[in-house]
Formats: sequence, structure tokens, C-alpha cells
Amino acid sequence: MEALGINPGLMLIWLIAFIMLYVLLTRFIYDPLTNVLNERRTRIAKGLDDAAAAAAARQNAEAEAEKILAQARSEAQKVIDEARGRGEDVASGIEQEARQTAAKIQYDAQTEAVATRNAELGNLREQVLQISVAVASRILGETIDAAKQQSLVNSFIAALPVEARGLGGSIEVVSAMPLTVEERAQITGEVGASDASFSVDPAILGGLIVRWSGGMVDGSVRSQLSQMARNLN
Amino acid sequence: MNSFWNGKRRYIALLLFLAGVFVALVVPPVIPFIQLAGENLPSGYDIPFTDIRITNTFVAAVIVWILLLLFTVYIARRRPSDGGEVPPGGFYNMFEALYEGLMGFIGGIAGGAHFRLIFNMFMTIFLIVLLSNWMSLVPGIDTVGFIHPHTKEKFDPETEEYKVITTDGFEIYQGFLGISYVNGQCDWISPADEAAADQAALAEAEAAGLAAQQTQIEDAAYARYQAAHGEHGASEHTDEAGGDHGEDSHGEEAVESAATAMDDEVLAARIAEKQARANRGCYTGVALAPWQDGYSDDKDAKKKPIPLHPDPSSEEAKRVPWVVLPLVRVASTDLNMTLTLAIISVVMTQYIGFKALGIGYLTKFFNFGTLFKSPLGGIDVAVGLLELIGDFAKILSFSFRLLGAMFAGAILLFVMSFLVPILPWPFFILEFFVGAIQALVFALLTAIFMNLATISHHHDDDHDDDH
Amino acid sequence: MDAQATIVLGKAIGAGLAMIGAAGGGIGIGISVGGAVMAMGRNPDHTATIQTNMILGVAFAEAVAIYALVVSLIILFVLS
Repeated sequence: MEALGINPGLMLIWLIAFIMLYVLLTRFIYDPLTNVLNERRTRIAKGLDDAAAAAAARQNAEAEAEKILAQARSEAQKVIDEARGRGEDVASGIEQEARQTAAKIQYDAQTEAVATRNAELGNLREQVLQISVAVASRILGETIDAAKQQSLVNSFIAALPVEARGLGGSIEVVSAMPLTVEERAQITGEVGASDASFSVDPAILGGLIVRWSGGMVDGSVRSQLSQMARNLN
Repeated sequence: MNSFWNGKRRYIALLLFLAGVFVALVVPPVIPFIQLAGENLPSGYDIPFTDIRITNTFVAAVIVWILLLLFTVYIARRRPSDGGEVPPGGFYNMFEALYEGLMGFIGGIAGGAHFRLIFNMFMTIFLIVLLSNWMSLVPGIDTVGFIHPHTKEKFDPETEEYKVITTDGFEIYQGFLGISYVNGQCDWISPADEAAADQAALAEAEAAGLAAQQTQIEDAAYARYQAAHGEHGASEHTDEAGGDHGEDSHGEEAVESAATAMDDEVLAARIAEKQARANRGCYTGVALAPWQDGYSDDKDAKKKPIPLHPDPSSEEAKRVPWVVLPLVRVASTDLNMTLTLAIISVVMTQYIGFKALGIGYLTKFFNFGTLFKSPLGGIDVAVGLLELIGDFAKILSFSFRLLGAMFAGAILLFVMSFLVPILPWPFFILEFFVGAIQALVFALLTAIFMNLATISHHHDDDHDDDH
Repeated sequence: MDAQATIVLGKAIGAGLAMIGAAGGGIGIGISVGGAVMAMGRNPDHTATIQTNMILGVAFAEAVAIYALVVSLIILFVLS
């Protein structure tokens, strides 16, 4: 023991010193530092969890934003489509209106032109009548005037064959001179047509030609003249 | 500052290298007298109120304790108060990194209910042993100390008194900076031994002379015998031998001179040896022999009491051998420390065993439960008793492992320093690692044994029996 | 040969013989570290456990060598 240097007194001092150091180090270093490190570890773990949650939340928000954007986009598309449709409608409406207007204008112009023509023809009527009358009177020695016309019409109606009465369809009436409204009504009523179109052809010289789908009645002066001429020959 | 030192540190290393060579030349290293026990400091350095003599290893222990106290204060001041605070940098941060690493390490080994106790024990032992071990790397420790007469106090049973006797040692000299240095070139020779050696040499020389004389006489007698017989045998011999009387007287003179020459030869060798010592600068063992002028044998040398602590510069200092008594010797090279720590470790192992398993912990050692149940019950008893012996053996194992490693390391550094001044540098690095590893092993084994003590082995056996 | 020289001779021989025991420690450390390294190579996930047990085993094996060292140190420096 002596040679090995073992000294119980020194060992006792070592023991006391060790216990004191153990207590001091535990009290001032190990316990607080271990707590601090554990707390830091949990904090870091929590921070990581929070970060993960935040990342997930951000991802959700992004998805939502994407959804909202998609919705907005589709809505915008719809609005655009709608606007386009409405525009097309408007355009087509305008076009139609324009077309209608154009058609109306055209019609009006046509009507006007027809009226003008009729008026012109009306104006011409006297002259034509005079000429026709003159020609006819020259040929026939007879003068055709309004009264004559009337009588011609009347005779035409009277001479109307049976098959030309009560036709009921649409007929075409050709006269050498524009017919008055009464004359027209008379003809229509006699023929019994539901619809009649009237045209003027001075070439027939006088009288009427009525055409319908089944046949025709030629009561024109020209045909009579030609009949006459044929008879004369 | 940093940029200033960049690329210049190597010159500092070179300067230190040259300084090592210079110091080694001015103050040659001395191979120390090695003893296992811590050297007692000179009297007057007792622990107050006791008669315990302070050893130099104890001084190192006190330094370790003070350093650990300062360390505690430092860490307690620097450490953050809660987990959210950013830790300060520098040394504290290094310690914290080490602490956290060791915490994870011990947590992997003993991360149970007793983790705190085991880890605190581990860390305390680790810090104390590590600091003690690394003290061996500090210059001046183990080398600077008292110049101390190397004496032993021996109990003399005849006179029933303690007698101071001198043992081996070195001479000292006053040198560099007026400090006393031990002279490694001159081992000390006591005057009494020197005188005895001189007497022995003289006796040897006389004996050699006498022997030479004897040989010479015998040779002469033989020559005469041959000459006498030659008269009968060979006539040419007598012709050459002529004049017996004259030859006799001449032969005696020759014998005389041959003896003196032989005498002188032996003595000359002895004197040359002394002269070589004197040339090395030694003062003991160089006194001239009594057959030469100027020798004064101090006949009273043996009677004069040798003072325990003579003034190194006095004349008395020449009559005692000197050694350096290091003021500080590494604490872990002393059994007092290692044995105390080993006992603490083993006691704490038993304590934690009882704490964890209650009185059932004793079944680890006295396992009579299966003695009559199983045919192998006797083996269990023997194993338990072996465990008990093993726990006591752990004390020896712990203490001698640390002591052996650190003491051998200290001796290694001594010897390497003695051989070549530059040589110990790599060994300092080796000692750095050995110190760290031994500290870790001591603390780790404590932690592992403590953890093993908290685990019930017999629980598993019972579990197996149930199946 | 005087008594002192005989003592020194005996001490030196005894210390040298005592250090033969260190060979066992060296062999043991070599075997255990070799086995541990092989185990780590085969099973790198359990490196921490293997390392701990290896250090434990090495410490035990080293202890034997250190006992031999202590015995030789005691022979050299304690016996008188």
C-alpha cells in the first residue's frame, strides 16, 4: 500500500471533492442544459411540423387559387361567349332589320315605281286610249273611251264562258288599260277568284284576257280584230 | 488580425522547434527517477489540520477541481436560459456540441428511466478524467518542481529511530537564470561509496601488482630451472645464459618494476575514469585517490547528519543526491484518484441496481431460486457468486486501466524527451488521443455497467419458464 | 556480480516477461475490431450499436494488456 501510494486520507478528500463536483455540475450544468437541449429539440420538431403544416396549407391555398382562377376563367369565357352570342344576335337583328328595311325600301321603291308607272300609264292612258280609239275608230270607226271600256268589260263578263266562272284559284288578268278598282272588283267577283293579279298590256288594244291555271278566256280587242280579219279573209 | 497571421504561423512553429533544441542544449533533459506513488511534497506542505502529506498528484487534482469549478461558472453564465435562445458561440458552443453528441450517445446506450442519473455520472467522470489526462500535455507539469534531495526515511529496528538514508540521484548545478538544475550527465556518488571504491581499486591494484610480481618471480624461477636443466640437456642454452648471479639480481629488479607497472596501470585506469567524470563537470567521484596528492577523505562524512533540505548552493549540497520533485504530477497517474473513481463507479452501479430493481437486485448475486428446481441450478449459484467477485474485480480493472495507461504515457514522454528533444512531439499527439479515449472508456464503462444493473436478467428467464 | 546488479537484472527480466501478456490484449483487440468492422460493412444500419459493443470489448481486451503493463511497472518502480 505504501509503495503503491494509496493514502486513505487523500482518497476521502477525492470522494468528497467528487460528490461536490457532481452536485455542482448537475445543479448548474447538466440539469439546465439537458432541459434547454430537450426544449430546443421539441421546438425544432414543432417548428418542422409547423413548417410542414404551412407548406400543406400553402399547397391547399394554391389549389384553391387555381380552382378560383379556373372558375373565373370559365366565367370569363362564358361572358365572352355570351357577349359574342349577343353581339351575333344583335348583328343578325340589325342585319335582319337592315334587310327588312332594305326589302321595305325596295318594296316601297317597287311600289312607288309601279305606282309611278301606273300613274305614268294612267297619264298615258288617255293618249293610248285616244290613239287606240283613233286606231280603232279608224279601223272600226268607233271610239273607245272609258264608257266603251266599261262596256267592253261588261260585255267580256257577259261573254264569259261557264267554265270561267267560280274558279276559286288565282287568276291573271291582262287589260289594255289600267283597270279601276271597281272594275277589278267586278272582274274578281265575276270570276270568283280568291286572288288576282292585274297587268296592263296595251298590245291587246282593249278588252280583257283572263288566265288561270286551267285555261284562258281571251276577250281582247286584238283577238277579236284578228278573228275579224281571219273572217274577212 | 487574422490576415496578419496568415502564412506566418509556420514560422512560429519553426521558432518553437528551434527553442526546443536550444533549451535541450542549455538544460539537458534528465531521465527522472520514476516511482508509482505520488511524490510527497517537502515537509511544510501538509493538508491543514491533518497529518496527510500533500503529494504532487494531489496538487494536480486540486487544479482539476478548480478548473472544473471555473468551467461550471463559465457554462452556467453562458448557457441560454431556454430552448428558444440562440446559443453563444466560442468555447461554449463547442462544449454544447460535445454535450449534445454525448447525450445522444448515452441516450442510445442507456436511454431509459434512469438516463439522467447515468448521464450525469458519465459526464462528471468524463470531465474529471479528461481534464486530468490532458494535464500531462501542459509544459512544465511533471518537469518543473522542487530540487529535492533524494532520500528515504527508513526505520532502524536496532535504534528504533527513523534514519535518513540517501539513494540514487543526480548532482545539481546553478545555471541558466540562476535556477538550480539537475545534471543528468552526473549520477551522484556518495563520498563514502567513492572512498570504498577507491580502496577497492587500490586493493585490486595491489593484488594485481602482487600477482604480477608472483608471475614474474615464477617466470624467473622457471627461467633459472630451465637454465639449470639446460646445462645438462642443451649446451647452446648455457652458452647464452652465462652469468647466473648477475641474472639473479637483475631478475629481482625486473620483478619489482613489473609489479609497479601493473599497479600503475590499474590505478591509471581508475584515475582516467575519474578524470572523465571531472571533464563532464561532475564533482562527486572525482576526488583524487589517497596515493595521490591533494586527496582529503572526509572521515566524518558518515557521522555527520545529512540535513533533509540543504541549500542547493551550499557545500553540504554536494553530499546528497538530488532529483527534481515535480510540483505537479498528472492526477491520473496516482492510484488515489483512479481507485476512488473506480469505487464510486462500482458503488453507483450497485445503488442504481437497488433503485431500479429493489431488493430483487440481490438475486443477481445470490441466485438460489433455481437451485432445487433445475438440474443446472448449481451453475446459476456459481454464476451469481462470480458476478459478485466480478463486481469487486471491476474496481481493480477500472483503477489499473486508467492508471496503467496514463502512467505508461507519462514514462513514454519522459523517455522520449530524454532521448531527443524533438522526438516527444508526435507522442504528445498520441497522449492527447490516449487521454481522451481512456476518459471516454472509463465513463462509458460506468454508464454501461449502470445501465446493465437496471436491467433484470431473471425476468427474461421467468418469462421463458412460463412458456 | 553484486547484489544491486542482480536486482536490476531480475527486475528487467521480470518486467519484460510480464509484458508478454500484452500480446493477448493485442490479439483480442484485433479480433474484436476486425469482427466489428465486418459486421459494420454487412450491416451499416447498426453501426452505432456495433461500435458501442466494440468499444466495450476493446476496453476489456485492452484491460488485460494494461494489467500486464501495470504489473511490469510495479516490478520496475515499486519493488525495491
